[in-house]
Amino acid sequence: MSVAPGYQRYLGAAALVLGTLAIVAGSPRLGNARVDIAGLAQIVEREEDHVTALELADWIRGKRPNLRVVDVRDSSAFEAYHIPRAERIALRDLASTPFGKAETIVLYSDGGAHSAQGWVFLRAAGHERVYFLRGGLSEWLDDVMNPAISSSTSESSRANSARIAEISRYFGGVPRSEEQGEQAPQAVPLSDAERHNSQPRAEHGHAASRKAIARLRGRGC
Amino acid sequence: MSAPFFELEAFGEGTSLVVAMLIGIAFGWVLERSGMGSARKLAGQFYLRDLTVFKVMFTAIVTAMLGMFWLGWLGFVDISRIYVPETFILPQLAGGLIFGAGFAIAGLCPGTSCVSAATGRADGVAVVLGMFAGVLTMGALLGSLGGFYSSTPRGVLTLPDFLGASYGVVVFGVVLVALVGFRAAEAAERRFGGRVDR
Amino acid sequence: MTAAVFEPRSRGALREGSPARSRAKPYANPYLSGFALGIVLLATFVIMGRGLGASGAFASAAAAVSASAAPEAARASDYFARYLSPEGSPTVDWLVIELIGVTIGGFASAFFAGRLRHAVERGPRISDAARLRLAFVGGSVMGVGAVLARGCTSGQALTGGALLSVGSWLFMGAAFAAGYAVAPLVRRAWT
Repeated sequence: MSVAPGYQRYLGAAALVLGTLAIVAGSPRLGNARVDIAGLAQIVEREEDHVTALELADWIRGKRPNLRVVDVRDSSAFEAYHIPRAERIALRDLASTPFGKAETIVLYSDGGAHSAQGWVFLRAAGHERVYFLRGGLSEWLDDVMNPAISSSTSESSRANSARIAEISRYFGGVPRSEEQGEQAPQAVPLSDAERHNSQPRAEHGHAASRKAIARLRGRGC
Repeated sequence: MSAPFFELEAFGEGTSLVVAMLIGIAFGWVLERSGMGSARKLAGQFYLRDLTVFKVMFTAIVTAMLGMFWLGWLGFVDISRIYVPETFILPQLAGGLIFGAGFAIAGLCPGTSCVSAATGRADGVAVVLGMFAGVLTMGALLGSLGGFYSSTPRGVLTLPDFLGASYGVVVFGVVLVALVGFRAAEAAERRFGGRVDR
Repeated sequence: MTAAVFEPRSRGALREGSPARSRAKPYANPYLSGFALGIVLLATFVIMGRGLGASGAFASAAAAVSASAAPEAARASDYFARYLSPEGSPTVDWLVIELIGVTIGGFASAFFAGRLRHAVERGPRISDAARLRLAFVGGSVMGVGAVLARGCTSGQALTGGALLSVGSWLFMGAAFAAGYAVAPLVRRAWT
């Protein structure tokens, strides 16, 4: 041996010890594997699993930091209309999308069912700040884009109505009075600012690193 | 879980390329230090004269494997985020056979050919050029990636899943195989001749 | 003809009359080197979430060359398309930078060890030219194998081996088996 055999014996012994301990150590913690059903059920009961459309609208308009709005529908539905700032991620890709720990993720779908399923996936994957829009896009269209404004004249009611109307107009929505029937939700033409805002964050930040990660994968060795 | 850092977006693509350079330099340095840049030394393994390749490779595999297992166990690394190459049974078997044949003929592998070329060896350069030609031809021929190339896919398939054994047991098994292999390698070298040392 | 290619350890033995030989240091202990390599590989896993590689860089380079020389062919090849941008232009690949690093690291190590040398490594019974031809042929064959196997000794054997991927272990077994099978046929190149 060119170097003192001591080195080699030490390495070999260390490997043997670590290898033997591995048998009894049990599986390493896998980020993906645990679904704490009882815990998730409690969160659902406490209604901490979802947000309302108005809350979401508030978050978007208030530029809540690290907010990710995720549309789990197919691309043609997404192209037709999507909530501003939303990005499209299919359900099957959700669990493998690298969301950051500090991000607040809000999922939505047409009626809410798929986004609720996506919520389970992401919580099982270990993400904690995940919510879904319980009424789905329908709730968004009803409560934000075409909200019914109460005609009651009480102070609080008027303040509330004003707030809702203002939020609605911010997104290019059309408030209606309660007496009016529901107006057909328009295919809202987004203003330039809206269209710019509704693109996923580009260039710097998460979309770029996600793209980079996606490109690194599958490149082979 | 704090790692893998890049997967958890601790830094961006630009930094990752700097990391690539630094890791590459370390990789190349260690390869050359152990003599892996010498075709004569590498070829020696196939005549049981110089089993340095086997020792280096398997020590590296065991080290990284144990490291991954224990760092995962400690919760430091989220091992589900590590990119594991997918398994394609037939193409990888065939590719392995073909690759091994080429390895014996060339005496260098893709990584070590770069090291060899960097140290002035003309045969290293020739292997690099050959590799390039081979890959270019294959790429041109693989117009669509169907057929044999994409046959027998198994996705990410690890030995624990395949053998139905736990991760820890497989780790132990690999360590055993490696240690036994090292003993055998030392014995073979003593029997079949001296090592190539320059 | 004593093929003293595989000489017993003899420090300071001069071969081919090159004066640089006497400065050449002996190689490092293989187990220590392997351990160091394992640490580098582990660091790559921890930092990047991926392993090492080499043949992928060749694929990238080949894709880039074909993109500039024959753009239609490059776009038509699904294999090259993976290494090009959607518009068909070359992209900076992590592996390419890594392999450049490998070259630099190899050079540096050889420099400090006095092992830099213009030479053709071969046995005494074969000519330089023949050895270079064999090297090129061997390289091309490896290129074919690496494409099929999605990697080489660095990407599949080392990386996939450490991660216990079945395909990688199959590749390793097949590669070593084939190497040992073919080696007697090219013995003349080394001894």
